[in-house]
Amino acid sequence: MHAEKQHHAFEPKLVAFVCTWCTYAGADLAGTSRMHYPSNVRVVKFPCTGRIDPVFILRAFQKGADGVLVSGCHPGDCHYMAGNFHARRRFAAFRQLLDFVGVDLDRLQFSWVSAAEGGKWVEVVTELTERIRQMGPMREFRELDAEEHWSAQLDEPEIRAAYNAIP
Amino acid sequence: MTSNHQNTETPLIDPACYAAATAAIRTEAVRLLVAGEVAAVVGYRAGRRTGSVMPDVATTVEAAGQLLFSPACQNNLALFLSKAKREVLPHGRVAIVVKGCDLRALAGLIGESQLRRDEVHVIGVACPGVFGANADLSKPLSAEGLARKCRACKVHLPEGVDLVAGTLPPLPDLPDLEAEEIARLEAMTPQERWAFWTEQFSRCIRCLACRQICPFCFCTQCLCDRNRPQAVDTSPRPAGNTAWHMVRAMHLAGRCSGCAECERVCPMDIPLNLLNRKMAQELYELYGFEASMQPQEQTPLTSYRDNDDQSFIK
Repeated sequence: MHAEKQHHAFEPKLVAFVCTWCTYAGADLAGTSRMHYPSNVRVVKFPCTGRIDPVFILRAFQKGADGVLVSGCHPGDCHYMAGNFHARRRFAAFRQLLDFVGVDLDRLQFSWVSAAEGGKWVEVVTELTERIRQMGPMREFRELDAEEHWSAQLDEPEIRAAYNAIP
Repeated sequence: MTSNHQNTETPLIDPACYAAATAAIRTEAVRLLVAGEVAAVVGYRAGRRTGSVMPDVATTVEAAGQLLFSPACQNNLALFLSKAKREVLPHGRVAIVVKGCDLRALAGLIGESQLRRDEVHVIGVACPGVFGANADLSKPLSAEGLARKCRACKVHLPEGVDLVAGTLPPLPDLPDLEAEEIARLEAMTPQERWAFWTEQFSRCIRCLACRQICPFCFCTQCLCDRNRPQAVDTSPRPAGNTAWHMVRAMHLAGRCSGCAECERVCPMDIPLNLLNRKMAQELYELYGFEASMQPQEQTPLTSYRDNDDQSFIK
């Protein structure tokens, strides 16, 4: 990007996909208990982790997230009975795919945070924020997004020659 | 008896086995149509170029007599049996010619209620192997021309079918190139893997041939088409291309039959089957799941156990 922007210290952008009934309530509890934690996280509320599609995680990275947190109810406590069981399998598979394609898995964190675990929410978010701060910005997806790469190379010698030949 | 050295005169696989399968398919197809047991036989017939074949829906005895099986029979005909694609076939019971990999797709479709087992008469071919992508179909089948997937095949002999066409000849013993490539990628650092895959995906022109040829991509509205909200960028730029291939790999995880048609039809030679095979490996390691020639009760991502691995979850 532009050289001027490097003056500021890097502040990680974190996106958290959370379930309404447990983690969101847990985060709310952290708030009402006036616990302090880094404000880098942007929370997106879902009814259940079972609704969280891997494509949302990809989109978060593509649109500028440096780290992603996915958090829901503990197994057995899902408000919809089995949503988090399906999510557990889905994300186990998705992690392997991400790793195979070359995404650093340290940028993606999964957790079970219940409605009573305000402290755990604070701990998970703080740890992830500091880890991402050490790792730096997520370059890979952002470079992809910025790249205007068409299937045909526009800088071929023939095209250059034709361009230069225009009177 | 296996042979590691192949001179240009000895075919890789005895061609007589393909001729035998052809004869068996023709006999069965004619019998079924004459008896009125099926409305059509979905199989392969000779294409226009030397050595090529094309899918055929044979509804007459004459057409049934033209069906064949050769190393050029690359297409996965189970594609035509999902609900979305079924309209190309006449109504009523149909017969279908399937190789082992195609049979896994058929079994998967039955498992997903796209059709019932009793609606289809399955002619399974004892398949020693077919040509791969970009092979010269007019030449005899060679180790270079053989599809990579065929080197790792464990389903040469179909099971649970209504007829097995042909018998297996001695099979060549060739190294599993796909497994080697996956191992090579797994040994790289994440940065190297990212560089590899972004280079592959940068060639993608989003023709979506991979999706069109896949028996399991039968959604009438694909998540990666134009939608509101837009999940994946549809233009052929690196960001959308990467997302497209990853989303497709996820949507196929636990369903993909390993027919590798996606890789064969890709005009830009992107090694798509590596992604699908890697996911299949992971699902086997995690949940003991393998694609099967018989319809399965559960697929790994539509079921769960209480003690599934959650070591990656805080």
